[in-house]
Amino acid sequence: MSFEAKRCGVKFSPPAIILIYEHKESKTLRKRTIPIRNFSKFSDHSMAAERLKNHPRHQTYLEGVSQAQLEKLHIILRDHLQGFSLEHSLASFSLDPDEDLNKLDDDRLARKKNQMDEVFERNRRHRDAADFVYDLEKDFKSTQAKCSWDDDSDDGF
Amino acid sequence: MACDVSSAPELDQNDYDADEQVKIICLGDSAVGKSKLMERFLMDKYRPHQLSTYALTLYKHTATVGNKTVAVDFWDTAGQERFQSMHPSYYHKAHACIMVFDVQRKITYKNLANWYKELREYRPEIPCCVVANKIDVDLKVTQRSFNFGKKQALPFYFVSAADGTNVVKMFREMIARAVDYKQNPSDFMDEVLQELENFDLEKKEENSETDEDGLKILPRPSPSR
Repeated sequence: MSFEAKRCGVKFSPPAIILIYEHKESKTLRKRTIPIRNFSKFSDHSMAAERLKNHPRHQTYLEGVSQAQLEKLHIILRDHLQGFSLEHSLASFSLDPDEDLNKLDDDRLARKKNQMDEVFERNRRHRDAADFVYDLEKDFKSTQAKCSWDDDSDDGF
Repeated sequence: MACDVSSAPELDQNDYDADEQVKIICLGDSAVGKSKLMERFLMDKYRPHQLSTYALTLYKHTATVGNKTVAVDFWDTAGQERFQSMHPSYYHKAHACIMVFDVQRKITYKNLANWYKELREYRPEIPCCVVANKIDVDLKVTQRSFNFGKKQALPFYFVSAADGTNVVKMFREMIARAVDYKQNPSDFMDEVLQELENFDLEKKEENSETDEDGLKILPRPSPSR
C-alpha cells in the first residue's frame, strides 16, 4: 500500500470526509477531501460508510480507516443535519459502564458499539499477523479473590 | 417481542431432530460481544444468515466430533435481547447454550440470572456455560472469581473475541457437549420426542428391505436442505 492514513475527520459544509495520509513513496503528508454526496438527515450511517469504504476512487486511501470510524463520522454529520451540536454528538459516544444498553434504541446502541469497536480494533490480533494463533488457549488459575460483583448477592448468584 | 420464527421458510426446526445436526444458542445483553465471538471462531468461513424479520442471525458451521461430521447451527440474537426476553422458538430444540457477559459492565453480569432463568424455563437440562468476554481490555479481571453458575456447576471461560483467547476452546467444548446431550437427552420433552421417533422408525422397519447380512436398511429421513 502506498498510502498510510494518519488522521480522519468530517467537515460539515460542504459535507466531506477529510483524510490526512502519508504518501509512502515521497514520504509526504497530504490531505484528501472526499465529498459526501446523497447523505441526508434520514440516511443510514453504516450503509453510507460502507459505500465510501468500497468507493473505487477512494478505497485505497481509506484502507487504513476502519468502517467503525467512518460510521462515526457519518453519525456526527447526520446529527449536525438534524440540528444537534457537536458537543451533543461526542457525548453520545461516551461509555458509562453502569448504563443498561438493552434500553437503548438502534441508533444510540450503535454509538456505544462504535466506541467499543475502537477498543476491539486496538486489541485485535489479526489473522494475517505472523504470530496469529487460531486456537489460542490460556489457563487462568482459579483464585479465591472474590468478585465484588457477587457481593450484593441476590437472585440465584 | 419479536415474532415467531416457525414460519420462516429458510428455517425448518425439524432439521434439528436429525442425528448429525445440532442447534446452539447464544444469550446475553446487548453489546457483550456475542457476534464478535462467533466471527472469531468461524473466521472468514462464516456465512451469517440475517433473518432480520425475526431479529435473529444464523451461523452455519461444520464440525468434527470424534469421527463424526456434525452440522452446527449457531443462533445469535440481532437485537431481540433488547426485550430482556427471547421468543420461545429461540430456545426450541436447542442442544446447548452459551451465555455471555462483558467483564467491563457489571449489569451484563447481573442480568445473567435473568437469562439463565428464562433458559431453564424452556430447556431445563441442556448444557450451558458462562463466558466472560473482553478480558483483553483489562487482564486483571481474570484474577477474580465470578460465582455465577458455580452452584449449577456451569463451566466458566475467560475469553477475548479481540485477541482470540480461549474462544476456539470454548466453542469446541460446547459443540461436543451439544452432541453429547443430543445422544443422551435428559430433558423430559426430548425423551418423549425420541420415543415418538422410535415408534415411527419401528413402523417403517416393517417395510424396509433386508440385505444379505441381515442388516436392516432404514429409509433415512432426508434433511430438507
